[in-house]
Order: sequence, then structure tokens, then C-alpha cells
Amino acid sequence: MDKILEVKNLKLYYHTSKGVVKALDDVSFDLYKGETLGLVGESGCGKTTTGTALLRMPTAPGRYDGGQILIDGRDIIPLPEKDVRKNVRWEEVAMVFQGAMNCLTPVYTIGKQMLETLQEHRDMEKEQAEELIREYLGLVGLPGEVMKRYPHELSGGMKQRVVIATALFLKPKFVILDEPTTALDVIVQAQIINLLKKLKKTFDLSFIFITHDLALEAEVADRICVMYAGKIAELGTNAQIFGKQGPMHPYTEKLLAATPRLHRKVESLSFIPGTPPDLIDPPKGCRFNPRCHKVMDKCYVEEPPLKEVEPGHMVACWRLEK
Amino acid sequence: MSENKNPEVLLKVENLKKHFTPHMGLAASLGKARKVVKAVDGISFDIKKGEIFALIGESGSGKTTTGKLVMKLIEPTSGTMIFDGEDVTSIAKKQLEAYRRKVQMIFQDPYASMNPRFKIRDVLEEPLSIHRIEGDRARHDEMIVKALEEVKITPPEEFMTRFPHMLSGGQRQRVATARTLILNPKMLVADEPVSMIDLSTRAEILHMMKDVQRDLGLTYLYITHDLSTARYFADRIAVMYLGRIVEMGPADMIIDKPLHPYTKALIDAVPEPESGKVDVIKELPISGEIPSPANIPAGCRFHTRCPYATDECKTLPEPELEDIGGGHMHACRRWKEI
Amino acid sequence: MNLKDFLAGLSDFWSEFRRDKAGLIGLAILVVAILAIIFEPVIVPFKEVNSKWRDINYWEDNSSGAPPAWTNAFSSEKKAVTTSLDRPRKEEIEGDGVSIRRYEFDYSYRYDQPPLDVIFRAEGWGTFPILVSVERPDGQVIDLYQYVAEGLDGDDLRVTLANDSKSAAYQFLAVNASEADMANYDSYSVKPMVIMFSEASPSMATAPVALTGKYKFIVQTMVMSEDVRIDNAHFTVVGSVSGILGSDTGKRDLFSGLLAGLKWALLIGFVTSFISVLLGVLYGIISAYFGGAIDSTMNFIYELFVSMPVLPILIVISAVFKPSIWFIIAALVVFSWTGPVKTVRSMAMQIKEETYIEAARALGAGKWRIIFKHMLPLLIPYSFASMALSVPGAILYEASVSLLGLGDATITTWGQILHDALSSGAVLNGLWWWVVPPGFSIAIMGMSFAFIGSAMDKILHPKLRTR
Repeated sequence: MDKILEVKNLKLYYHTSKGVVKALDDVSFDLYKGETLGLVGESGCGKTTTGTALLRMPTAPGRYDGGQILIDGRDIIPLPEKDVRKNVRWEEVAMVFQGAMNCLTPVYTIGKQMLETLQEHRDMEKEQAEELIREYLGLVGLPGEVMKRYPHELSGGMKQRVVIATALFLKPKFVILDEPTTALDVIVQAQIINLLKKLKKTFDLSFIFITHDLALEAEVADRICVMYAGKIAELGTNAQIFGKQGPMHPYTEKLLAATPRLHRKVESLSFIPGTPPDLIDPPKGCRFNPRCHKVMDKCYVEEPPLKEVEPGHMVACWRLEK
Repeated sequence: MSENKNPEVLLKVENLKKHFTPHMGLAASLGKARKVVKAVDGISFDIKKGEIFALIGESGSGKTTTGKLVMKLIEPTSGTMIFDGEDVTSIAKKQLEAYRRKVQMIFQDPYASMNPRFKIRDVLEEPLSIHRIEGDRARHDEMIVKALEEVKITPPEEFMTRFPHMLSGGQRQRVATARTLILNPKMLVADEPVSMIDLSTRAEILHMMKDVQRDLGLTYLYITHDLSTARYFADRIAVMYLGRIVEMGPADMIIDKPLHPYTKALIDAVPEPESGKVDVIKELPISGEIPSPANIPAGCRFHTRCPYATDECKTLPEPELEDIGGGHMHACRRWKEI
Repeated sequence: MNLKDFLAGLSDFWSEFRRDKAGLIGLAILVVAILAIIFEPVIVPFKEVNSKWRDINYWEDNSSGAPPAWTNAFSSEKKAVTTSLDRPRKEEIEGDGVSIRRYEFDYSYRYDQPPLDVIFRAEGWGTFPILVSVERPDGQVIDLYQYVAEGLDGDDLRVTLANDSKSAAYQFLAVNASEADMANYDSYSVKPMVIMFSEASPSMATAPVALTGKYKFIVQTMVMSEDVRIDNAHFTVVGSVSGILGSDTGKRDLFSGLLAGLKWALLIGFVTSFISVLLGVLYGIISAYFGGAIDSTMNFIYELFVSMPVLPILIVISAVFKPSIWFIIAALVVFSWTGPVKTVRSMAMQIKEETYIEAARALGAGKWRIIFKHMLPLLIPYSFASMALSVPGAILYEASVSLLGLGDATITTWGQILHDALSSGAVLNGLWWWVVPPGFSIAIMGMSFAFIGSAMDKILHPKLRTR
């Protein structure tokens, strides 16, 4: 498989008046063609920050403090903004932002909004562009007449499809989806998930799927990257994380146990006590140590490195050293 | 199950309806006929003392409107509501005040349900001053501390001087619960109390709410779109679709043996954290999205999306809830065949 | 909210505010203005300006239509500046039953153009002779004028040397000037001021050269009985340039007038904007909270007020009623409460939909509790900004009414000074110092509030949106 994205030791810090927030600290992962990589974790763990960092749009006052983002071997971090705007953003990497479907301009038709995005990047005749838009609306399961509709005339699911089509029609190398189904009802969520699977299969697309819901990742992601406090805690294939053996990092274990299962009646659901740490002053040693149920002495002293414990399965936990 | 021990009905809702007539400008009202939005269109249910009753539905199903009707934040179009033996459908100001002491509400968004300029102490004192609960500042402080301890906010004194924005989502939802408990209510309406809270701490809040319910013998109306937490949390579940209850019964029965095709579809759509599904495209028995409550289909209102709908379903009057035993009720004509 | 939180909030606000340059400038101007009001009794040159602005007698010793003193800096011929000499050295020479009382006033003269007049003034009791003389820097002493004041009882004693010392001046000229020059003079056409302040030389009549240095004005009197008393003896050197901002043709000191008008400008601005914003904010909240028919009715009333032309109505009211300043303020409030209504209404509509309002209702809170405890506090920041922004309007309206001569005749306002200037043809006669400063003051005061208001608006508005 072709490696289309390589993130190497990415560091993204927020330099605030209160101190340096290490939003992303030494994050490395790859994305292959035709694969969906799931980014999962609690709010504030750095999922969305990773997404915007890949788009070369770090949220202010974020700054790249090291590492590389290689798209097809080219590092996009040192590129001038003009170049990024012209050749990278939306051309190579597209993103469906969280709540993007509610950010469609209410006063323009869907067609006009999509046309604008398209014409900003492509020198195209209006008819030709409209033809392309109609084609992509078809791909996401919407009739072409949606072009003439205003956002308020569409349901949530339809708007999300429009947003996905808009992310796709410049044929980016991969698409980042940030919580694309969170605001949707379960049935519509399942429809969107099915759509993404179909698109992936048909066009050999690559996705980075960001969500806080492990159950969703089990549905869509080939590989899952579990993030905690700006670092990767565990990275493994779908089978490694959700299979019989189960995850290896205590955080992933706990997160999975806290995910409610409809078809299993339990007397009491488990949860992770406490809250994620303050990233200005994270705990010494392993950042998960105050909440970990399997904590050892070493965890308070030294930070565990991300190590491959079996092929394709990386875990950052001292417990696996033995 | 608690309802067996104490079968007394606390809240009885009968054929409750809420129709909204949209407020239009003069020009618009000349041009178009006003479309009535039938948010809640004739629902009946009982909630027994000490029970957790879940109302499940997608957005637009009318579950939140039902919650507001029960809270008497809005007036019903028709139907009756009997609370603790008293008809509360339309009550005078004095009785409403008394009713508000007995029925309290927890809102979905713990970030928005507290005035950002109030400290936690002020947030919790507000119900006391609204209802002119006797006592000086020290007595009020005592009650506030007790309520905070009840929801496991410790140490309470330290939290009292904080502002809501200094608390995590889970802590806020605890404070919101404490605010409702301070008046010793009989029933709590909880509208999606955990949907905005991180998955990792969601269970913690649900545990806390359940503990409080057991400790104080409370009754909950739990409004949610999330079947998984409803199964864990509730004794009974009612599934709403477009302003009607389509299926109702004990939680396990609804989840394990759903009768209505809509309930089945909902259950099928819930993702489970298990491997081996990435390349499988899930069979979804129903397509499309919930129609607008301003434009409810004739006949069975689910027929437009139902894979089993026949001509009968489209033409005959809407099926009523039917009990098949064990308190399991459904509103589907073809339940036996499917 | 206790004091500590309030202070914390204030310091947050300040740390943002001080980054706004325009806001700081506005604040600085306001602080200076308030200091000026507080110290007005100390800095104002004419202490009784507030009560005597329209009293001709109070101003009679001042120069008329004189440019500001600092204009000397821009002209080659320095003109004498109007000065008051009121710290005499007093000396009493005891005699046999009578005593000579002597007052000495020092005056340092360093100009090219002599004063227009030198006036002696005092309050006297009883009967006594009086002699006014001057000792010049060259040592010569001229006895300028003498007369006997009779039967005074606290009356004004006033000697205007420009008139009263003509004969003495003529004699002094006759002694010094050449005979040929003297032929052109008699004791009426002589200019005592020119002579008094020029070098004694034969050509002093035709080509006088200013004699600079220390002059000593001496007043002597003979005290012959117990009841003789002289109080408040002072000289005024009436120059052809005067004061910080000059004087008008009614001899009034414009700086004093401007300072007296400052407090009225601020008062009008503050009171009007405070009351009208308070009313407007409440109106907007109530309209938004109740909605429906109440909202429509209130909106209609609002439109009614907004569509009324304020200035014409104000002019008619002022012309008919000859109003006091309070009446003008009340009239301004009647028309300017509408300012914040629309914005507040839309903000309150938004706040009304907040979950915590619904939560309060679910707890059983009544409408007034919700309005005053939950909604109003959120609108206070906006109200402050809106108050600051509506101050200039109020100042301008009062000035407009006063400019037309319809203001409160018992006080001094900038608009009235402008009105007097225009009706005396100040612009046509080039008396710019009469027109520009009051106009400028109105503009600067308005501007400072506009700066402060917009800075506050910038800081306080986004906070409201995000919360």
C-alpha cells in the first residue's frame, strides 16, 4: 500500500500567557491509500488539533515546534502560506469540520456555495462546474436539484452529505472528518457511515476519522489511533483494538469499557475517574498515571515510549515492558 | 424492579397534544396558509413512583416538547396531566409554584443551563430565594452544602465560590442536579443530561443520578436519543416518532424484543464496539429521515419509511397502542408478520 | 457579586482597555476635564464667573475683545498682558493723630506696547484723600492723580489712569519732550499710558521707546479718623492681550467662561445619557421578554419617538418655555431614550432563549426576577458603552439650542458663548478666540466620549456574545 501521509514527531504548542500548552507532543503516524485511520480520545486530547495541524491551519495561538508532515514525501510545514492555500489545502487535504453542516451560509443556495469553492481552485466554465457538482452530489446520494435549495430546506443528514461532497470534489489525497455524525440521529448516522464506506471502497479514498466514540471507530476505521493528553497512547488495527484480545493500553481498555453496549445488559457501567490533565503542567512520567488503574512506580518517573508490541500495534505503556 | 414494589402512579399523561401555530409576519400570513406543527400529537403514559421512565426518539420526535409540557414550561393544546392525584393540566399561579417545587428539570447543556455570572453558591441558592425558603444565609449554606454532598461534589465549600465555567462538564451536571434536589422534589425531568458530557465520564454521572434516585426515592423522566444509556438507566422505555409513542414497555423487552419496525431500525443503527465491521455495509431497514412535524403523513405516520408498509397502513386510521402483555405496548398493525 | 469580584472584573476590563489607544486618549481627556471641574475654584481667573457672567460691572476692568496672551509669542511687537496686581506692600506711618497709609504695587513691564489702562480699585469707608503715583524704572516718580473720597460706605473706589492722569502725563511730557513735539499736544490728546511706559527723552512724544523694568504703583492716603477703612486695594493693568483664551467684546474672560461651561457640558451629557440609556435598556428588555402584543405596541411607540425630528421640536419647546437646564435635560431624555432600545431588544431576545433562563423558569422564577437577576446584568456592559456613546449627542443638542439663544439664561454653557460670539459678529471681526475654543471644546468632549464608548463597546460586546 502507498503511504500518502507521514506524520513524524509532530509537536504543536500553544504559547499562552499562562504557559506553554503542549497540545500535540511528539505525535507520529502514517496514513495509507484506501485506509481509514480513526483518531479517538476524550475532548481536549488533541484530536481536532491534529486535524487542523494536517491542514496547516493550527488554531491560534498554536505553533509548530518540531516534526514533519509529509504528504507524498513533501513536508508541508515549511511551505509558504500562499503555496499551501494554492496547492495543499483542499487540493491535497480536505477537512469536514465539526458542525460544518451548520455553517453553510443561509442566504445562498447549495449550488452557489459549492460553485464558489470549486471556482476558487479550478478555472472552470460555469456549466462544466455545475456538471461536476451534480456528479458529486449524486455520489453522496443527493439529487442534483439540491443545488437550487437553501440550507434551511435540507435535513441535517442532507447538509452533512453536501459538506462531504464539497470536501471530495477537488479529489484530495485524503479527507479529515471531525465528528461528522455527532449532531445526527442514530439512523442518519448509520446512513452517513454507510456512505463513507461506499465512497472509500469505490474510489479507494483515504480518511482520517475523528470521534470520541469508540463504537463508531469500530464501524469505520481500519486502524485506530488512541490519543491522550496530546500524545498517542495506542495505535493498532481494528482487529487488535476491538478483537478478542482487546486493547493493551489501560486508557483504551477503560475507554472501551465506558462505551455503553446496547445488547449487553450490565448492572453498572464503568467510567474513568477524574479529568484529562492540564497540558501546561502535565503529570510527571506517564500522563495517564493519575487516572490509571494499573499504575506502577515507574509510571510516575518516566514517560513510556510508543513501542511496537506486535506487528502494527504500538502501545505507550510501561506495563508491556516486562 | 422498583415499580413492582410501589405501583402507585405519580404522573399520568392522557392524550396530551401540543400544536404550534407558527407566528408569521403579516405579509407571510397573507400568502400562505398557516401550517400547524404537531410537535406532540396525542400521547398517553403513566410514570410510577420511584421509576425511571425513558422517552426515546430522534430529533423532531417531540420528546423535548413532552418534557417541557411535563415541566409546564409550555401549555398543552389539549389532553390532561395528573400529578400525584391532582389535575395539573391548567393550574393557577399559586399551584404552579407548588408544582415547580415538586417537579424539577436537568437540562442537556450543562454549560448553558447556569447563568455564567452566578457563582455555584448563587446558582444553588436561586431556588431557595425563588420559593422564599425560610432561613438566613447560614441555613441556606447548610442546605447548599447538603445538596452538593448528595451529588458528590467535594469539598462543597470550595466549589461554592467558583463560577460555572471553572468546572468540568461532569461537575456542572452534578451542580445542576444539586440545584434540582435542594427543593426536595418528587420528580426530575432530565433532558439528555449526559449527551454533552465526555463518554469517559458519562457513566459516572448516570451512576450519580441513579444513586440520588435510590437515596431520595425520586422519579425520573429521562429524555434521550441514546438507546444504550436508556437501557442501562431506565426501568421502562417509550419510543416516540413524530409526536406519538410507537412502542412502550420494560427497557429490556424493548431492546431485546422490539415489536415496532421503527424501534427495530433504531436498535439496528446503534454502533457496537466490535471488530470485523469495517468492510461490511450495514443493512438499514429504513431509509430517509424523519418528516417534518408540520407535514405528518396520513394513516400510520411511519408508513413513508416503513419497509413493511401496505396500502392498509397508508389509508386506515392510525393504530393505537396495544398491550401484548407484560406492559409491552406497540402501535403497529403488522407486528405479528414482521 | 462582591467587591473583590467586581475589582477583578474591573482590572480585566482595564487590561484590555489600556490597549485601545483612542480609548485611552478619551479617558485622559475625561480625567483632565473632571480634574478641571474639581479644581475650578483654584484655576479659574475670575472667581465669580458662575454668578456674574452676565453682570457687565463685574467685567468692566477687563480688556475688551483682546486676543489670548500667548499670541505675543507670535508677534514681533509684544503687547502688555492684562494683569491684576493685588499683593501690595502696606505701610503705615504714624503721625500726630493722623497716619499716612501707603500701598506699593510692583509691576514688571517688559513689553513693546503699553497697556490700554491701569485701573486702581478698592472698597472704602469714610472720608480720606488719596494720591496715586508711579515710580518708574528710571527712578522718576510721577504723581498721577489725587482726590478726596468723601463719605464712602463700602463703595467702590475706582481710578482709571488712562483718563484720570492725563494732566499729570502732560506735565511729565512737557518736562521731557522737545518743544516742537509738544506743540501738537494738549492735556486732552495726550496718552498717559504711552508716556508712563516710555523712556523719558526729547523724542518721546513722537517716537516713544518702551521703558521696561520694574514699575511701582503707589497709593497713599491719610487716615484721619477711626472709621476710615480701605479694603481689597488692587490694580488692574488692562493690556491689549488678555488671559489664556482672550476676552470677548463684553470684556468677559473666555477661559473663565469655558471652564464654567465645562461642568454643564458634562452634567448635561452624563445625566441625559444615564437616564435615557437606563430607560431605553429597560424598555428594550421588557419589550423582548414579554413579546407578542406588548412587544408590538412598545415597538410602535418606539417608532413614533424615533421618527420625531428632535432638534426642531427642541427649538420650539425652548422658544415657548424659556426652559431651565433641567427642563432641557428632561426634553433630551424624552427623545434620546430610544437610542439603545433596538440593540437591547435584540440582545435580550437572544438572552431570553438561553437555557439558563429556561432553567430559572423551571425552578419557578417569576418574570421580574428573570429580567432583573438574569437579563439586566448581562446588558450592563453594553449599557455603559451606550451611555458613553450618547453623551456627545446630548452635549451637541444643548449647544444647538443654546446657539440659537434658547438656552438656560442663568448658567454659562459653551453653546451660549458661541451664540454671543455669533451675534456680536466675532467671526466677521476676526475674534477667532471667541469662536474656536468653545467649538473645539464641544468637539473634543464629544470625541473623548465617543472614543471611550467605542473602546468599551469593543471590549464588552464580544464577551457578551460568547457567554
